[in-house]
Amino acid sequence: MIFVAVGTQFPFDRLIRCVDEWALAQGVEVVAQIATGEYLPTHARYERFMTTEVFNQTLYTASLIISHAGMGNIITAIESSKPIIVMNRQYELGEHRNNHQADGLEWMAKLPGVYTAKTCEDLTALLDQHETLQAGGQVGIERRQNLINFIDQAIRA
Amino acid sequence: MTAKRKVFAISSPGGHWIQLTRLCAGLEAEHEIVYALPDKLFKPKRDQKIYSVIDVSADDKWKLIPCAFQVGYILLKERPQVILSTGAAPGVVAILLGKLLRIRTIWIDSIANVQKISRSGELVKNRADVFLTQWEHLSDQQHVLFKGSVL
Repeated sequence: MIFVAVGTQFPFDRLIRCVDEWALAQGVEVVAQIATGEYLPTHARYERFMTTEVFNQTLYTASLIISHAGMGNIITAIESSKPIIVMNRQYELGEHRNNHQADGLEWMAKLPGVYTAKTCEDLTALLDQHETLQAGGQVGIERRQNLINFIDQAIRA
Repeated sequence: MTAKRKVFAISSPGGHWIQLTRLCAGLEAEHEIVYALPDKLFKPKRDQKIYSVIDVSADDKWKLIPCAFQVGYILLKERPQVILSTGAAPGVVAILLGKLLRIRTIWIDSIANVQKISRSGELVKNRADVFLTQWEHLSDQQHVLFKGSVL
């Protein structure tokens, strides 16, 4: 099963439609979290919002995550050892209030197990080889510990 | 080692919250952490103290007022020594109130902001006692510090 999630802040119809149409053509099982989207999947099972519990359970069952380029889903996918494809929201298309998701895409692509797409064509190309996409290992453990240690000192100061 | 502190940790739901909780996970053994989150979908773990506050974003600025009252109430009730936030708008509210109440404030700008400091971060850059970015190239090594990142 493939899990596609767009976060809770905005809809992301361009992503949901792309995955739904691909999944219909390929006959692949998809669960979608679509927020306030207007496009309702014809093939994928969908919910607008999920509790953290249901979200985590769905993610656990999935073999691949597809997401807007939001940090929450990227961090969660990496921690759960799932490969993730992210597509960025575009400010120009009214999909976010600024273009930071586009800015972030380049470095996200460098994270192991994180694949990036800017368009539905990019995404479909990745989906066509979805069985070969691999999860990365845990990354940045030392960087995270360094930051925690500094914050700990700053709290005590 | 100085004594254990009471820390108030607050952020928006989603990516900000995921980053905040990952950092706090490494601090919970050392400090008492009280959380606030504007998200009805989240169920806290049994040993976590989490206040629910009204959601506010750049799109509905008027909610800053009820949000500020709620955060102010929690700060007066809990009397934390430190405020910690990864953003966005609820964190700004907390940092500004923290300054008013003379509570030490720490801002960690979201890792999602790669090209420049976030808009909410800019609002508190000159007010937070400690201001951290998760990107080395955004640090000025004086006031905007890079000391590591969640990933």
